[in-house]
Amino acid sequence: MVYSQKTPWTLIMGLIMVAYAYAVQSGAMAAVIKYLGTDRHAGEMQILGYAFGGIAIAVGLWQLFAKSAEGHIDYYLSAVGGVTFIMLVAFIVKWGLDPQMAQWGKAAQSALGFNFATVMNLNYVVMGIIAGIVIVNLFKVPAWAEHGVRLSRLGLKTGVILLGTLYSLAELAQLGKLSVVLIGIFVLGSVGVVLWFGARRSLPNSMTGVLAAGVGVCGVSAAVAAAPVVQAKSTEIAYTIGTILMFGVICMFLFPIVGKGLGMGYIQFGAWAGTGILNSAQVAGAALAFQPNGIETLKVAEIFNITRVLFLPIIVLWLALWYVKREVGAQKIDIGQVIFSKFPVFVLGFILMFALSSTGIFAPARHYQGAYFDNSDKIMLKTDKDGKVQSRLLADKDLEALKAEAGKITREDQKAALARLLENKKLMSIDDDDTLRGVVNAKILSKAGNDVLTKAHRAVRHTAPKIAMFRDLIAWFFTFGLVGLGMQITMASIKQAGGQPLVIGSIVGVIKAVGSLIVVLLMVSESI
Amino acid sequence: MAEDKFDRGTALTIFGTDRHEDFVALSLSIIIALLVYLFV
Repeated sequence: MVYSQKTPWTLIMGLIMVAYAYAVQSGAMAAVIKYLGTDRHAGEMQILGYAFGGIAIAVGLWQLFAKSAEGHIDYYLSAVGGVTFIMLVAFIVKWGLDPQMAQWGKAAQSALGFNFATVMNLNYVVMGIIAGIVIVNLFKVPAWAEHGVRLSRLGLKTGVILLGTLYSLAELAQLGKLSVVLIGIFVLGSVGVVLWFGARRSLPNSMTGVLAAGVGVCGVSAAVAAAPVVQAKSTEIAYTIGTILMFGVICMFLFPIVGKGLGMGYIQFGAWAGTGILNSAQVAGAALAFQPNGIETLKVAEIFNITRVLFLPIIVLWLALWYVKREVGAQKIDIGQVIFSKFPVFVLGFILMFALSSTGIFAPARHYQGAYFDNSDKIMLKTDKDGKVQSRLLADKDLEALKAEAGKITREDQKAALARLLENKKLMSIDDDDTLRGVVNAKILSKAGNDVLTKAHRAVRHTAPKIAMFRDLIAWFFTFGLVGLGMQITMASIKQAGGQPLVIGSIVGVIKAVGSLIVVLLMVSESI
Repeated sequence: MAEDKFDRGTALTIFGTDRHEDFVALSLSIIIALLVYLFV
């Protein structure tokens, strides 16, 4: 089978991307960029526009003028059209619709009484998936792009692996215990409830088994992994995937709205999404929708999500024993072999990146979410290109402003931290920084005093450039994956979720979502 | 997208198996991490 098609569209999309990058570089788009407030994305607009546009032009020319023969080169290069198509949609959404919607949300705020863009979470992640769903259901994905759209899951998996670079051992050690306890309760509980419900409603054992894995663990991949263990038919896998995706999509839209309504913090929401939402992609979607301009929520959600994936071997083992018990004469299955052949390797990639990051090669090993504390002279007294020393120590007038208000502080630990700051002209430890952040948050000092403390805080807190780069890359891999994911959600796949599996999956899904919300609100604080 | 449109991979991936896709994602990530480590 020859996959390359004689279509001009890959070439046209490449030309559009390069033209856009050039327009940004030459300043022709300056007015639009200023209007939309996307100045900080100007660099990536040029890099991504030239890179993807250049590749698309080269492949587009090859598709139009060369004679394709069946083989690996034809197979893999023909995916470029679909990848370019997804990226073009992602560009439009991230650099156009997202900032425009934010503007409209602000403009309509006085008339509506609320910012609809914020309340409805109309950011680039949600709009990317919606754009994908609209394209596939109203216009259909063009035939020349269908092949490449199948690469979107690769984007999601790569994003998850790279996410490991953002974690350090110290951070995970604190979150890990909680995630293992929460996930343990809800994964094992959900599987048990589905198995009980399935038996009560006389579903086939194979259907119940695959649904239990899908609802309990990590969605689609868990369902696929458990399928051979319970000898599920392809229609049963399709029913389960339809149920998971439909419920997951609903959760992805509802969770951020509920989270914001309840005033949840990043850690709380991440823990809830990572526990309560059924499928990995939708966990990422909800976390990014809740916090589109940062990655803290996504990180917590992914820790919970990865913990959940790590339960897969246990669930597979449980289901195998359960199935063999219920199905007299069921064909004997080598459970160890099933786990070895089905365990998602990308989870090991995540752990590898986490291990590398913990050694300190991307940022100081003690970094927390890519940020770290450093008050050494090397940082505080930097020499610029002209050989002039740029001091980040507090100036004399700053010290005077603080001394004038020092009497307002009554707590001993805060007084001591302030005294050390005044003596050394810089914050001396993370604890001192945290203590004095408390003074700022409590608004004990005047605005001028708080500004000085904030200046001292910013001087010793740094974000590692490598981690910042990983954040940007991860956001793009997820955007790519989620736009492509939207293009795979057809009305037919949603209809497949009908009937008994939908009822049972939804009941258990709601119990899990509400139960985990209550537990998270009771057990998780923002300070862990 | 029906599966029979493609004689390789599945409706969800262009790779032969999920494991194959996992290894490609892993390789890609390692290359990216190396580039970031060396050049950023």
